[in-house]
Amino acid sequence: MAVSLSLDLPVGAVVKLNLEVDARKAGPALFVIAWAFLLVLTGISIWTAFLGLGSWAAVLEYGIAAVQTGILFTFFMRLKGPPSVKWVFAGSGFFWLSVLIGYSFLDYATRSGWPWHG
Amino acid sequence: MPSEYTVEPHIQYASLEHQGDSAQDCMWVFLATETVFFGAIIFTYFLYRVFYSAEFDVAGKDAVFWCGSVNIGILLTSSLTMVLAVNSGAQGRRRAMIWWLIATMALGFIFMAVKGYEYYQDFTDRVVPAVNFLMKPEEAPAGELFWDFYWIATALHAIHLTIGLALIAYVLLWRIRRGEITPEYYQPLEVIAIYWSFVDTVWLFLYPSIYLLGRS
Repeated sequence: MAVSLSLDLPVGAVVKLNLEVDARKAGPALFVIAWAFLLVLTGISIWTAFLGLGSWAAVLEYGIAAVQTGILFTFFMRLKGPPSVKWVFAGSGFFWLSVLIGYSFLDYATRSGWPWHG
Repeated sequence: MPSEYTVEPHIQYASLEHQGDSAQDCMWVFLATETVFFGAIIFTYFLYRVFYSAEFDVAGKDAVFWCGSVNIGILLTSSLTMVLAVNSGAQGRRRAMIWWLIATMALGFIFMAVKGYEYYQDFTDRVVPAVNFLMKPEEAPAGELFWDFYWIATALHAIHLTIGLALIAYVLLWRIRRGEITPEYYQPLEVIAIYWSFVDTVWLFLYPSIYLLGRS
């Protein structure tokens, strides 16, 4: 069955959302949408924690946290936009953290007899 | 008075925009060190969870789930109110900026109140290592390590949040009152907002580590 809807709008009227990130031009819409998405992701994270997924739960929950961090960095912390080199500084933290984690994994992967359950 | 105050760039900067960009870059450099700082703590926890997963699952079930869950909602909402405060300041809407900042501070204080209640619950549940701790047989010998992480990580996070609250209070009571936050130069507020949201992202990783893993 076909359903047709007609809106009594002037011809050519378009609903435009202000999705600008720049603080001087931004409206609230983009940030409210991002916030709602963050809450939905939190809900999914809580839901999956009770599904009995075993070790996959950790992958999912940290994955969701990483996506949420991406949203916060991009929009709320305005990583996209001027000054143009700030992503280098932001990325350097994750680079040095990956070095720390990478070498630590190498250490634990090549040890024997740990953890010690005396 | 706000209407008479003119913001000039410091001598080493060519313009206010140059000064503001440098301030933002410096905050991101600081946050790079914070990423390694908190990342190392969470990674240490991760290793212990891998090696002592059964013990950590038992210990983690004693964490007050509703407190952590309410607090993640509060923090995410505070990031929204903070960014709306910056937008209002950048667009010359002074009154809206002040109210959004007050809302952000209120949410920060609610977070701390919930955290305080949770700490009280933890104390009565005897999960405070070295002070008031009772090891359950099924979580021995590593359950205490979970609570060591819990107290160190959440206390460090709370200290960072308190610094954020102090910075917002400083901007509200000093910079804005003196008319120093204008559409031409709102970067002090932007820099604090970046810091505030970073503290939020730390909780995004602490929350699953403490309250969610091993729940099912």
